[in-house]
Amino acid sequence: MQSTSRHSYRLSRKKSEILVGYGFVSIPMALFLFLSVGIFFYAIYISTYDWGLIGPTESVGLDNYRRALSDPIFLKAIRNSLKYALLVVPIQSALGLFLALLVNSKIKGSKFFRSAFYFPSIASSAAITTLFIFLMAPDGVFNGMLKFFGVDVSNLFNQGAWLSDSRTALYSIIGLNAWTTSGTMMLFYLANLQTVDSQYREAAITDGASRRQVFWYITMPLLKPAHFFVVTTGMIGALQLYDQAILAGGADGSPDYSLMTMVLYIYNACFRKFEFGYASAIGVILFVIIFSLTILQKFIFGSSAWRGEN
Amino acid sequence: MTKVRKYMFYSMLIFYSVITVIPFIWSVSTSIKPSDEVYQSNLIPDNPTAKAYATVFGKIQPNFQTLFANSLFIACVVVVLHLIFAALAGYAFARLRFPGRDALFFVVLGCMMVPDQLRLVPMYQLLVKMELINTGPTNYLAIFLVKAISAADVFLMRQYFLTIPKELEDAAKIDGAGPFQLFSKIMLPNAAPVLATIAIMTFQGTWNDLFWPSIVLQSPNHWTLPFGILQFKGQFSTDWPPIMALVVLSTIPILALYTFGQRYIINVQLSSSVKG
Repeated sequence: MQSTSRHSYRLSRKKSEILVGYGFVSIPMALFLFLSVGIFFYAIYISTYDWGLIGPTESVGLDNYRRALSDPIFLKAIRNSLKYALLVVPIQSALGLFLALLVNSKIKGSKFFRSAFYFPSIASSAAITTLFIFLMAPDGVFNGMLKFFGVDVSNLFNQGAWLSDSRTALYSIIGLNAWTTSGTMMLFYLANLQTVDSQYREAAITDGASRRQVFWYITMPLLKPAHFFVVTTGMIGALQLYDQAILAGGADGSPDYSLMTMVLYIYNACFRKFEFGYASAIGVILFVIIFSLTILQKFIFGSSAWRGEN
Repeated sequence: MTKVRKYMFYSMLIFYSVITVIPFIWSVSTSIKPSDEVYQSNLIPDNPTAKAYATVFGKIQPNFQTLFANSLFIACVVVVLHLIFAALAGYAFARLRFPGRDALFFVVLGCMMVPDQLRLVPMYQLLVKMELINTGPTNYLAIFLVKAISAADVFLMRQYFLTIPKELEDAAKIDGAGPFQLFSKIMLPNAAPVLATIAIMTFQGTWNDLFWPSIVLQSPNHWTLPFGILQFKGQFSTDWPPIMALVVLSTIPILALYTFGQRYIINVQLSSSVKG
């Protein structure tokens, strides 16, 4: 008698667990299926249509993709985005690691320095880019500082017009974002450094390893999870460059499309030319690039980094 | 450490802190400068003035108060949505057994791979069909729908629930608590640090976001602070003090939030992300 009641109690317990489980995930899963999965396939569907303000007119197959890959401005946008990502990711990662190692050592005021270094990462990109444009203006503070150190700005190849010269605009934005993002990267490295047991380093030092050897053969390999995380999130973020480009260069990525990025190009196709089918095709291309680079990084770093094991 | 090394060490630390902090001090300084002093290199203005603040609080349309209220309203609603959905789904995926659970969780992981820029066109088309792209109050619903849920937050929440020891629940189970009581009485109170992390990171992300507001929000009365900065930067062109006043005023709340919630950002979010 007693055992049956316990049995039925367990059964009802199992049932209620299933019910509560479905209840808890129902709204979140509905939202995911609607806002991400459904939207993903809808994007691919739209990309195969000639789709203007009045909606879809005719199915065009892969024409939108062909058109994108033969448009010199889109190719320029891809080049800009890739150039930006390939330069900014190593710089911000290395700077983040360097800052993490600096503030991780037992020093006075390490908490203050940690906060100071993270500071540029918390402000909005709109605020910080606007400030940057002001500081980098031809008669702004940055050129004033160069002058103070004896650099005659008017003799420079761009006359100190960092953001309005097509040769320096993208590099200036790289400098800006390396500066703002390195604080976040520092935090990722710090979190990883705190899980690394110091006994490995101490053992190596006892065995007579030099500081340099300890860094390259002990610390760096132990930071693999952070390397993977920093490079992957950094790359995804870099390929989505939009805020800084539109703030500094307007919707055209001026001067001379030097700040035209893939996302800015989507924005233009969508809201200035109202070519939604074409814009959607560019979105799919961007997704394919981001997706393949992430998979590539997974192979480079090995599957252990993917799971976050040392 | 030798003395020379120590000096080198500290000079590097101080040098980089100067690089990170001075630009912000400069924005404060510029916001209280009269226009003829803007390009002078003095940090402390000769004739400080609050004119720029009077401009952003009074003359511009929409004024700072409107931008601030919109940013705050949107960020708070999105924080609440993210907390509710992440807690519910995170708990179910971490602790409850039901058929299809792992398949559904795999879908959540997949959602992390869909970038916002791919969502832009279809999302916009959908919002137009739902008649949410308008200048009325339902326009806010468009931004709430776009930002309703975050796969990364569900993932973070699940990982955290997995680390809470099962023994905590066992005692309550013997007392006859069902899955719902276990969730509300045992698991949620123990997850306070990660809830705080999600709240802070979501607030910061939504407060700072420029991409979706610039696409979805139609009426100037709905603009958020970053969107307002983008618009006024075009309008004012080189009248820097009011723009810098907006930069300063929009950064202060985030700075306060960060100072107050620093430990949550550093300790929980990052260790669980790295351990992922």
